[in-house]
Amino acid sequence: MLTLRSISKNYAGVRALQGIDFNLVAGEVHALAGENGAGKSTLVKILTGAVAPDSGTMHLNDKLVEQNTPHRARALGIAAIYQQPALFPELTVAENIALFDEAPEAWRRIDWAGRRTRARQLLAEIEADLSPDEIVASLSLARQQLVEIAKALGAGARVLILDEPTAALTEREAQNLFRIVGAMKAKGVGVIYISHRLPELFALADRITVLRDGQHVVTRAMQGLDEAELVRLMVGRALTAVYPARSAKRGDVVLESADAGCRATGVHNVSFQLRAGEILGISGLVGSKRTELAQMLFGLNPSDAGEIRVRGAGVKIRNPAQAIALGVGLVPEDRRRHGVVLPMSIAANTTLASLRGVSRRGFLQFGRERAVAEKWRERFSTKADSVLAPVETLSGGNQQKVSLARWLATNPSILILDEPTQGIDVGAKAEIHRLIADLAAGGLAILLISSDLPEILGMSDRVAVMRQGTIAVILDRVDATQQNILEIALGKDAAA
Amino acid sequence: MKRDFAVLGALVSLLAFAAIAAPTFFSAANLRDILLANLAVLIVAMGMTLVIVLGQIDISIGAQFGVCSVLAGMLAKAGCPAWLLVILLLGAGAALGSLNGLLVAHLRLPSIVVTLAAMAVLRDSLRWATGGKWVQDLPQSFQWFGLSQRGGEWMLSLVTGAILAGCVYGARYLMAGRMIFATGSDAESARLAGIPTVRVVFWVFAFMGALTALAALLNAVRFPEVPGNAGAGLELKAIAAVVVGGTSITGGRGSLGGSVLGVALLAVIGPMLTFLGVNAYWEQAIQGAIILVAATTTMAARKRT
Amino acid sequence: MRTERILAIILLLELAIFAAIAPNFATVANTFEITRLAVELGLLALALTPIIIAGGIDLSVGSMMGLAAVIFGALWRDAHLPIFTAALMALATGMLGGSINAVLITRLRTPPLIVTLGTYSLFRGMAHGLTSGITSYSGFPATFLYLGQGYLFGFLPPQLLLFAAGAVAWFLLLHRTVYGRTFHAIGFSPEGARYAGIPVARRLGLLYVLAGMSASAAAIIYVAHLGQAKSDAGTGYELMAITAVVLGGTSIFGGRGTIPGTLLGLFAISVLQNGLRLAALPGELSGILTGGLLIATMSIDRYYATRSRATPATGSEETTVKNSQVAVLSAVIVASALLICGSNWYLARSLRGGQTLAASVTSPHAPVIGMMPKAKGDPYFVSCRLGAEEAAREHGDELIWDGPTDLDAAKQNEVVEGWISRGVDVIAVSVENRAAISTVLRKARARGIRVITWDADAEPEARDFFINQATPQGIGETLTDEAARLLGGRGDFAIVTASLSAANQNEWIGFIKQRLAQKYPELHLVAIRPSDGDRDRAFQETQTLLKVYPQVKLVMGVAAPAVPGIAEAVRQSERTDVKVIGLSLPNLCKPYVHSGVVQSVVLWNTRDLGYLAVTVADSLSRGTLKAGAASMEAGRLGRIQIEGTQVRLGAPFIFNKANIDQFDW
Repeated sequence: MLTLRSISKNYAGVRALQGIDFNLVAGEVHALAGENGAGKSTLVKILTGAVAPDSGTMHLNDKLVEQNTPHRARALGIAAIYQQPALFPELTVAENIALFDEAPEAWRRIDWAGRRTRARQLLAEIEADLSPDEIVASLSLARQQLVEIAKALGAGARVLILDEPTAALTEREAQNLFRIVGAMKAKGVGVIYISHRLPELFALADRITVLRDGQHVVTRAMQGLDEAELVRLMVGRALTAVYPARSAKRGDVVLESADAGCRATGVHNVSFQLRAGEILGISGLVGSKRTELAQMLFGLNPSDAGEIRVRGAGVKIRNPAQAIALGVGLVPEDRRRHGVVLPMSIAANTTLASLRGVSRRGFLQFGRERAVAEKWRERFSTKADSVLAPVETLSGGNQQKVSLARWLATNPSILILDEPTQGIDVGAKAEIHRLIADLAAGGLAILLISSDLPEILGMSDRVAVMRQGTIAVILDRVDATQQNILEIALGKDAAA
Repeated sequence: MKRDFAVLGALVSLLAFAAIAAPTFFSAANLRDILLANLAVLIVAMGMTLVIVLGQIDISIGAQFGVCSVLAGMLAKAGCPAWLLVILLLGAGAALGSLNGLLVAHLRLPSIVVTLAAMAVLRDSLRWATGGKWVQDLPQSFQWFGLSQRGGEWMLSLVTGAILAGCVYGARYLMAGRMIFATGSDAESARLAGIPTVRVVFWVFAFMGALTALAALLNAVRFPEVPGNAGAGLELKAIAAVVVGGTSITGGRGSLGGSVLGVALLAVIGPMLTFLGVNAYWEQAIQGAIILVAATTTMAARKRT
Repeated sequence: MRTERILAIILLLELAIFAAIAPNFATVANTFEITRLAVELGLLALALTPIIIAGGIDLSVGSMMGLAAVIFGALWRDAHLPIFTAALMALATGMLGGSINAVLITRLRTPPLIVTLGTYSLFRGMAHGLTSGITSYSGFPATFLYLGQGYLFGFLPPQLLLFAAGAVAWFLLLHRTVYGRTFHAIGFSPEGARYAGIPVARRLGLLYVLAGMSASAAAIIYVAHLGQAKSDAGTGYELMAITAVVLGGTSIFGGRGTIPGTLLGLFAISVLQNGLRLAALPGELSGILTGGLLIATMSIDRYYATRSRATPATGSEETTVKNSQVAVLSAVIVASALLICGSNWYLARSLRGGQTLAASVTSPHAPVIGMMPKAKGDPYFVSCRLGAEEAAREHGDELIWDGPTDLDAAKQNEVVEGWISRGVDVIAVSVENRAAISTVLRKARARGIRVITWDADAEPEARDFFINQATPQGIGETLTDEAARLLGGRGDFAIVTASLSAANQNEWIGFIKQRLAQKYPELHLVAIRPSDGDRDRAFQETQTLLKVYPQVKLVMGVAAPAVPGIAEAVRQSERTDVKVIGLSLPNLCKPYVHSGVVQSVVLWNTRDLGYLAVTVADSLSRGTLKAGAASMEAGRLGRIQIEGTQVRLGAPFIFNKANIDQFDW
């Protein structure tokens, strides 16, 4: 149905895609795999007309598609759902779903009743309980994703591209999505599915195409492929141990929360203890307020109930500056918005939370700043031309290393990691896991928030499962399985 | 629209206060005069709302207004028939606006800088060209488009009302209007949704220019001569009205109805203070305070929702 | 640093061009004059740079200047505080005003544009309210005025040192301290900064407080510079300061920008204005060229930005300023200073022979007369200009007609400074602000330039002659008598004036009130409304007046554009019982006089006023008119009487239906 022939694309002399052949059959789910930077995103952009290839052709139903534009791609029935929802935050759900699914003729009259009904229908089809009149900006990321899926559904897509659709979804929402993908497949829609979560690929895909460094590696049936083999194809080498070994040394309790809560965000009655050298995994569905818990502990949304003790002393953490002074660091979930300041240099980002350490009487000492940045760059083997390069020129994994370096530069005793490996390719992911293990071995107390269950199980000493704004249960590593974590998160109060 | 409540509340309480303290304020003649004096602001505030919804701003409209006023006078003096004058003037306004649009949309320069430059260039060019002279000895047919005074007033109000209705309708019920809101909300998403964002920005600025020209014309015909410094400070009045009306300065969110209320609020303050016998010297301070109160209560209301 | 480089080139180009075409541009004295005039604006621009970098904006700084100036003056004169204490209190006022902005922006999360748009009106309005627009404070001690008017070591304006210190302080704050780093981070990403533990609200608040303080410092220097504190200080400065900052490469979206860039932007604008003035090119060009420059630098910058993005990132760090770059910048400045000094030395050497000659009575060349109205666009002055040009043609003089575009005392000083640098033969000024301009006029006289005033006078010893068209008293009395005649000596009337702070109008109104008290006890002045020189505003004010005060039977306009506005309002209200008189130009009022709406217009012959001013200037510079003369020959005006140092044009004239058609100006 859809055929790409020898597609090439260069960005400013850097080869993004080189002679890629690709075909999609109606009614199949075709996985697209590869590390970050392998060229998957560029390929998607070419399909959706966001960028034009330098050479190569694209045929849809044996018809040549010339001068593809976003508008044209939509008209041809190619719809894409990206990692970050591409919605209009200030507009309503109905407007987002049903307003621009026809050609945007400026002088066409809008039939609001019809649009609203259509939005409601589409939402019902994916069993999303959303009012069409809600403003999108007031929705959570996961719910925004639902809006986007409904929108693609409404666009009557013949080719549906899903680019990391489950990154922000709960398990149940993801299952719901898989069901929808299955239904669309049955309708004869060709689905291109991109995900870093390999089990999803095995569960969903019929065929798979692997890209590496802008080149086509293989296209084959999913059947007969195993995970290790797929990873080998993606990285070009076999990854032996996915999760690093952990040392068993534990220190004193450094962070303790006793019935702490924050009314504004709905976190309540949170109790746990965290020891030096320990990794406490925090799991839970989206909406269980894991990120809000991190924000409370870091003073972004200060706690107004219960007690928080750091190294035994009761503290009030009212803002991040106080948190930093107490030795608490937070590597936030939204890397690009919160984790780093994109246009600033690696050096400036590395020292941003510890400027006092590289200054004297308020005056910056650029030599010391560079030295600090260089130290962390070497330690993390961050790939960059120089520590003066803007962070926006780095890949996602390297940006995450800078974000991590910023907090380690504050010399913390407690580090909160919120989804540290989200949207990062397999190679960099393993590297970051190794770093985390090293840090814990060095005596750092770590709170690891992650939606990736294998990651939680692979990294944590204990696993706290959150549900509806509080910690439901804390499991020891030996007791925790994907199965029971999920059950607790979903609300079955299985005694641990 | 919840966010209109704050400005509506400010307006209502101000009017209620006037009703007690100076009931003569509500004479038909006074309200008519206030309306007529603010038709021009009302019209440009419509355009300004759309510009600000796009996340842009246009501070050159005062200068554009001056240029268009003088141009209208000169055309009329040259014996240009009314229908042709309207067309030529709207064309000239649209051309001035599209110059801004070209620089903002196609060269992607920040609109505040572009229109700041346009303001300086237009104001000084006009001053240079006219030397501050007024356009006088206009033909009889110029004032009120040759109608009687009452007829002319009706005509101006109706034209403005039609523009208002057209804008409100278009913003809600035409694809073009939603395209503006979508572009202002998230330009990248809009582009992906197939909206020609560059053209949207360009045309909104051109439309702003045409509206400014129309406002200049409607204002000019109320008088038998055209001064050389017309439109001074118009941009600040319009921007203040729009933001007091609850349109978000960061784009994507705004309402034309709110802007109408904003214009109304700012329009009644001045005359009302005169009616209340407030010393003229304190007027500006009181205006500033009311803008601050309206804006902050809007913010507070928005925070709560 | 790319924008800075483009700007440095533009600045050098400007210097080169003006050195070639503008007389006395490239001299040490002028160099310092340029910088002196840039100080107040510069202080605002410096304070705005970090604010814009941090993603904010402050439109209230110009208005803050007005408020701080008034408070400073009031504390010194009325509260009898020592000048230093008054200055400190003024700075505190600025910080207080800044904190209002800060609290509303950071605590109530109201966008800075809206907040400062509100305080822009609030601060200016308070300044007007506190002084009733009229009060102005002058008579400051000489030691204080030295700060704004004197010379250190005979050439260095003292405020320049303050400014240099301010620039260094802002530079260090923004580019060398922890705080500066956080401002950039906030500008790029306020959320990202918050997650890095930066107290965003406190940092932003600090900037607005500092901006208020900086504006107050600018106000104090402004007062020292003009010798007078008035509520209209700094009107319109906010937009000029923003222009300088943006021209200097600071991104309006936040994050990027430098203090050296702002300084370059500031000097690019000031040099342009000064150069145009010295080259006697129309001042309007400065707005046109500044606008062009803005677009051009932004476009070039954009062009390179897209081009460099197309090549792999080279790892340039745009947000920091390296010492080497500062060094290069300083080198550019030193080089241009050397260039100027060099040409100055050359000029001085070549002129040494002619130095004594220039001071002698007969100039070999046609006299160059710099003539300044209060506001160039005002129809009143436009008609004066016609007469002035007529006389200049007749005598073969070179006439430079330049002045502020709107009423602006500071601008008048600037223009005179420019003429002194240029070396004109005669300066003829219609004075907006007596105390403010006298110092600089004295300076002109000390340099051997003849000075006359026309239309409105400076301090007597600051000029040779004053062309007196009519005394304020004469105007006030004529207007009052005319009103009394039309109303039969009793009843209510109202006045529509120019701006509330216009000095001339306030003086006339003072005499009107005095005359009422003395002669017409049954004639009541019920309201005074401002029109800001805007016909439409006068129209609207009159409409309201007529409704609020239905008993008013006469409206008097005391500004040229106000009278037609009043007349139109009266005509459209169909209140035939209301009479209109005023001070305006016959041409503006002709239709209304004919239709009977306007009863009479009081004015002298403005065209003759311009003609006479240039004729006196010409005679002075040719030596045919000397101090102490009792009369002089004035071309088509015949013999004109001189009383002391006042040249009399004649009494105010009353235009009415019977005679108005004889005049066409």
